[in-house]
Amino acid sequence: MAKSEDCIHILQGLLVFGNVVIGMCGIALTAECIYFVTDPHDLYPLLEATGNDDIYAAAWIGIFVGFALFALSILGIIGIIKSDRTLLLVYIVLMLITFAFEMASCITAATHRDFLTPNLFLKQMLERYQKAEPANNNDQWMTEGVTKTWDKLMLQNHCCGVLGPSDWQEYTSAFRLTHNDADFPWPQKCCAMDAQGLPVNLDGCKLGVPGYYNSNGCYDAISGPVNSHAWGVAWFGFAILCWIFCVLLGTMFYWSGIEY
Amino acid sequence: LEGLTTGSTFVLEQPRCVFDKYSNADIWLVVALENTVAAFNNSAAPGTAESAFQKFPNSVPAYMTLNATLANYPCSKSDGDITVLRVGSETSCIRDDARPTCNGPLPGPGPYRVKFLVLKGSEPVAETDWSLPIMLRTAKSPNSISTTDEGHSAGMIALTTILSILFAILLAGLVAMLVFWGSDACGGSSSFSKPEAVTVRRYNTHHVYDQPAARL
Repeated sequence: MAKSEDCIHILQGLLVFGNVVIGMCGIALTAECIYFVTDPHDLYPLLEATGNDDIYAAAWIGIFVGFALFALSILGIIGIIKSDRTLLLVYIVLMLITFAFEMASCITAATHRDFLTPNLFLKQMLERYQKAEPANNNDQWMTEGVTKTWDKLMLQNHCCGVLGPSDWQEYTSAFRLTHNDADFPWPQKCCAMDAQGLPVNLDGCKLGVPGYYNSNGCYDAISGPVNSHAWGVAWFGFAILCWIFCVLLGTMFYWSGIEY
Repeated sequence: LEGLTTGSTFVLEQPRCVFDKYSNADIWLVVALENTVAAFNNSAAPGTAESAFQKFPNSVPAYMTLNATLANYPCSKSDGDITVLRVGSETSCIRDDARPTCNGPLPGPGPYRVKFLVLKGSEPVAETDWSLPIMLRTAKSPNSISTTDEGHSAGMIALTTILSILFAILLAGLVAMLVFWGSDACGGSSSFSKPEAVTVRRYNTHHVYDQPAARL
């Protein structure tokens, strides 16, 4: 019958198109997650020290899911064109497993993003920045990571502390144990620096004279990249999953209509 | 100025245009705790154990520091200059008993009261009033920062809910697919054949037409 032949061809065409989009999105997901895993803003040590680095785990899962989607989309295209029941069943089951993994990745990224509040970074900065006596090797590794990251953040973004230099005054810290309050109301990295990396005016910096010290907090410089990482993984994954949902429903319908 | 008061220092305006009449005198800063103000008398000599920084606040009610003359506080103030005195900035002489006029960091949060005292030789000739109480900052422990969960964002809840529903629908679809594998219930009307289907052609047998011709 011509009419149902046309319907079948249209359905096949739609499903093949759907699978092509899935394949391309898989590659895009892999590329995006590789970009995030390489940590271009060097914020990983901060997250590692808080114990909340699961948005990186979500990105790693995303890399492998992307490859799997690409491979499965090719399998799906072959299965649809040949109308092979076995191939399509394998395709549907494997696609569901990939769906579950990607779902886990999205939910992990979204949930753990919510844990990264200013207070978390503040507490960690106060406890670890320039900590003098680390308890063990792991502690030392994390302390060095946190100290280097904060120094780099404060120098490059011209900021100080999480909410401002008064973080160092409002709370005692590991830094305060080794640097007395009169000489270092806040770390010297918070001072405006000249080309050689020395403070322009140390006394002005200690007094808090505008222009000689960095008066903003670094939270924006941290949360910007972390947010784009987490939301990039979570929402792009969500969009791909919605598309996969439609294609899978179509494939299941197509499968149930094939004669055996 | 963000560093107006810190945990152990504070900042004062320089006393410019105040002691203009006393060109040959020494101007000293006297620092006392609010509750030891009454115990200080102007006859205490600077640079002695009676007014030593190192003995404050345990043995002496106040200490004298920041020795200056009128030349340090000229009346004409050029624009853009920040004319302040930072009390507590010298950290090298905290325990050096040989330097009783050390401008060392203050030992506690206060409240402190200060005044300027002008001495000619060892005679006090002028002084300001005691200042209002100056309270320094106290630092809290970082353990007081609460990092526990502050709730989930709406986006995360929406994402989780929608994804769970989609996954549940797909699983239901898979189960339905497998349960109805054998029967034609869902696929009957739209079942279609594979592309390699065989087509049946009409075929006429020869003998039906040959026999009448053979009988004639």
